[in-house]
Amino acid sequence: MTDSNPIDALRALEAEALDAISGAPDEDALEDARVAFLGRSEGRLSAVLRGLGQLSANERPAVGQEANRVKAVVTAALETRSAALGRPAGASGLDLTLPSRKPWKGGLHPITQAVDEIWHIFRDLGFSRARGPEADTEWYNFEALNTPLDHPAADEQDTLYLVDSVLLRSHTSPVQMRTMERHEPPIRIIAPGWVYRRDTYDATHTPAFMQIEGLVIDEGVTFVDFKATLAEFARRYWGPDTVIRLRPSFFPFTEPSAEVDVKRVITRPDGTREETDWLEIMGAGMVDPAVIENAGYDSERYTGWAFGMGPARIALLKHGVDDLRTFFENDVRFLGQFAR
Amino acid sequence: MNVSKRWLHDLVPGLQATSAELAEHLALRGAPVDTISSPGEDIADVVVAKVLSARQHPNADRLSLCEVDGGDGVVQVVCGAPNVRGGTYYPFAPVGAVLPGDFRIKKAKIRGELSQGMLCSSKELGLGREHDGIMELTGEFTPGESFVTAMGLDDATLDVEITANRGDLLSHAGVARELASIGAGSVVLPELPGDPGVSLAYVEGTGEVAAGGVTIRIADPDLCSRYMGAIIRGVKVGPSPEWLQKRLRGAGARPISNVVDATNYVMLELGQPLHAFDLARLAGPGIVVRRSSPSEPRFTTLDGESRALNTNMLMICDAERPVAIGGVMGGLDSEVEDDTTDVLLECALFDPKSIRATRKALNMSTDASYRFERGVDPDGLRTALERCVALIVATAGGTVDAQALDCCPVRFAPSLVDLRLARIEKLLGVAFEADYVNELLHPLGFVVEGSTDGTLHVRVPGYRSYDVKREVDLIEEIARTHGYDAFPSDLGPSRPGSVPDHPMFLLEDELRAAMVGRGLFEAHTPAFAPPGEGDVEVANPLASTEPFMRRSLVPALLRRLAYNLARGNRDVRLFEIGTSFAKAGPGSPPHEETRLAAVLVGRREPPHWSVAEEALGVWDLKALLEDVVGRAYRGSAAVAPGSVAGDTFDAQTTFVVHDASGNAVGHGGRVLGTAVDTPVWASQVWALEVTLPSNVLAAPVASYSALPTVPAVERDLALIIPDAVAAAVAADLIRGSAGEELEALELFDLYRGPAVPEGTRSVAFRLRFRSPERTLKDKEVDRNVTVVLKRLEEELGVKVRG
Repeated sequence: MTDSNPIDALRALEAEALDAISGAPDEDALEDARVAFLGRSEGRLSAVLRGLGQLSANERPAVGQEANRVKAVVTAALETRSAALGRPAGASGLDLTLPSRKPWKGGLHPITQAVDEIWHIFRDLGFSRARGPEADTEWYNFEALNTPLDHPAADEQDTLYLVDSVLLRSHTSPVQMRTMERHEPPIRIIAPGWVYRRDTYDATHTPAFMQIEGLVIDEGVTFVDFKATLAEFARRYWGPDTVIRLRPSFFPFTEPSAEVDVKRVITRPDGTREETDWLEIMGAGMVDPAVIENAGYDSERYTGWAFGMGPARIALLKHGVDDLRTFFENDVRFLGQFAR
Repeated sequence: MNVSKRWLHDLVPGLQATSAELAEHLALRGAPVDTISSPGEDIADVVVAKVLSARQHPNADRLSLCEVDGGDGVVQVVCGAPNVRGGTYYPFAPVGAVLPGDFRIKKAKIRGELSQGMLCSSKELGLGREHDGIMELTGEFTPGESFVTAMGLDDATLDVEITANRGDLLSHAGVARELASIGAGSVVLPELPGDPGVSLAYVEGTGEVAAGGVTIRIADPDLCSRYMGAIIRGVKVGPSPEWLQKRLRGAGARPISNVVDATNYVMLELGQPLHAFDLARLAGPGIVVRRSSPSEPRFTTLDGESRALNTNMLMICDAERPVAIGGVMGGLDSEVEDDTTDVLLECALFDPKSIRATRKALNMSTDASYRFERGVDPDGLRTALERCVALIVATAGGTVDAQALDCCPVRFAPSLVDLRLARIEKLLGVAFEADYVNELLHPLGFVVEGSTDGTLHVRVPGYRSYDVKREVDLIEEIARTHGYDAFPSDLGPSRPGSVPDHPMFLLEDELRAAMVGRGLFEAHTPAFAPPGEGDVEVANPLASTEPFMRRSLVPALLRRLAYNLARGNRDVRLFEIGTSFAKAGPGSPPHEETRLAAVLVGRREPPHWSVAEEALGVWDLKALLEDVVGRAYRGSAAVAPGSVAGDTFDAQTTFVVHDASGNAVGHGGRVLGTAVDTPVWASQVWALEVTLPSNVLAAPVASYSALPTVPAVERDLALIIPDAVAAAVAADLIRGSAGEELEALELFDLYRGPAVPEGTRSVAFRLRFRSPERTLKDKEVDRNVTVVLKRLEEELGVKVRG
């Protein structure tokens, strides 16, 4: 290093190198230029980089940074000139068809993705998310929901108990009461969460599964609002041509009660369109006045509607999974199919 | 409930519908049809044949040679059934017929004798399970006529799902009522073939009644509000006539004998369970309806099971002992048998809750208990009793005592429910006129008895008295019969809710996104755990359900990791956000925590041609743990080396997390080889678990500080640090002694080797100094560094590397 300021010397070197490169008439001349500046043992820039260690600690960072910058500029100029001279990508050049260096890809569980998609639609419709405990009492799971324990509707064959009147919630509906206790109308929530049933594992049942509760309570809420909101949800989830059908049913905590079916229109690759069969997606209904009274609200003033749906089943149908148990295997090749 | 299509047509003569149309109608009324089966579908080739003669096969002891008239000439058939007899009709599959299971009948030689067809058992026809012989047909037939038509198997059976509130639909008449109300006519009970036209006079009483030498007394009217009896003498028990057998089969029931079939017929038609006692086997003869007494610990029901009783169970007793479990099942000692001549026919009304408690305590369910539990028409007992009597006399002969018994301590009073037209509109969003409401309700049996100021007074029929008690119950009937499809679907305005999005969901969203960004896959595992992995026990687990609730998410995730490795997946990075359970006070729900756990094994990054492969290591685990803790605790919890109880983690490579109050809220580290089942080729396994704070901390609002305008001064220090001094301790000392101008401290190199003394390592720190106001002079910085080095040496024995 002859110049007293190493940074200025580097910039001079950069200018010299760029001149040599742009002036190189052919591949051989370009290779000579490369060796002269970047050659491992003789290259002048390489020498500067090697000499960094002898600089004072004050100087070292700035000089090192500048040297690296110059090296990058010179390397890029060599590549550009080389390409201009028509050299094919190869041995000593940079083959840009080589695979890139990527980080690992992760992904959300397909059931979480279904929950999120459903949540985002309801969020846009003015809902928020509520939650409650997974182990709860008979009161919240049954009695508060107008389900007397001595009625066949509360058949505890399906419910897993812990001690006495404490159970693993068999649906997310206890969150209805827990939310109404703490808040005043208007209530507009969904409650995704795990629920438990005394079921054996098979292709369509697992003893633990995700459910999404929905609850709306306000003045002036009617069956028409209920039907219209669910129809809107279905169109947003499955597409604008989707239609819903409500079938009368029975749940102790809603009246009138309904099973909700959807029918989608699928467009095939050849452009033809086909209607699917009716597909059952949820149980729902107008909130029973007894439930509204149990929450301490005036059922003459407030009305509402509620639903419960199974995102696992929705994910299963959406992705063509044929066995619910696959969702619990957590094989990373399976999970990788849903990574985005 | 199995519903015979032919039966429905008989009940609603105006009904014109295919099975599929019936199913659609019923689904839209809230009673969806699971399956439609036609028992005769698979056996259309089978005919009725007459066996003219049967003789011993010359070459086989157990086989017979039969001359069979199958309508198409007489053929020889080899038969192995012990019950084959000449002069009797049997179902016959001629050569060429196909039986269930795609079993084609061929001409065959059996032990040297030609066999042209097969005489069939009920099992071979898919009609029953018995296989002790071929199916003997009673009655007169024409050889060659279709077996399916002859047996009435050309009916369709609809398996209708009845919801728990609609006990009234557990009968053909009930289902017919729903169909009749769609405009297909009205329900009329079909005429019974051979109906003798009996009419009964009733001896009525509230506690005890007596007639025909029989006494009925109700001692516990809270559990049995009405008990009726009719006496039929001189019956001849035997098979039911073919029409009755067909009818029962069409409804999925098995014919037994005329008397029993008559009770089943009436139950299936009207929903009223009845029971026939052999009068000669009742002591007294009389009936006492009372709770079981402590002196009667067990009772043998007619299925031969000895059952343990409790004193809350309602028993039907004779003068001496229990003879039936009321509304559940009759007793072995009093049931009608082949030699029975006199019958006491019971038609009663039991308390649904008591029936439910009893049958649950006995862990059984019968057709009768199923109906009583859901409510039997309190207004239909006489109709049912009279119809059953008529059917018994028609099919089993005998004469009925003119006087029947009707003990009724609690008389049913139909209820009047007020229905406000304004309330209908408020709930359903559509206005309904009074006339139209009446039009909707009337076919279902509801009667509008008057109205005042827009309020209708509606009388509820007995069979709906269990589920229609309130105004809203009637509004549901209106919505249902109007048709849910007929309501508009216009999205109106709505107010936003008052409930904020639960902050735990927001934290979960953030953590999930962070984990996915770091290349992890989210796993879902059920919260059940095997013994040893939980303290909260499930009281009634199924065999397939592990009997505890997990206390930690890691064990199940490690099993999923092992599962992946066993399938050759080398690189496994899983995380889960879920609930852990811990015992709380006695009788209280367990303590739940939301936790994030992760398990990792394999390479740091996907293989790339430019770099050597490197396995995930402790610094990756530490970074992941710090990321989770940072997001969950917003800087208020610290990750430090430590140890975790249990035998999952390697004590040398474990971190623990403490929150601001010093509570351990997480940990992570290397998983011991003994704690996870991995193949030899697998790299080290890492795991972490962090409890998310129940009071979720909001992400702090970033506060701006002006970017520096003056240059910084840096100093690198290469230090020889004894192994006993932790790097973090040295770093803390540097921070504490370098003066307030120290802006940043970075550990950028660590070296062990011949150049540094044994028991020490060389650690290089880069210190960046800056003053917000002015450029620092080298001298000032050097002064600070001198202080740092002095304190390092004095307090920690740390020297500068020469």
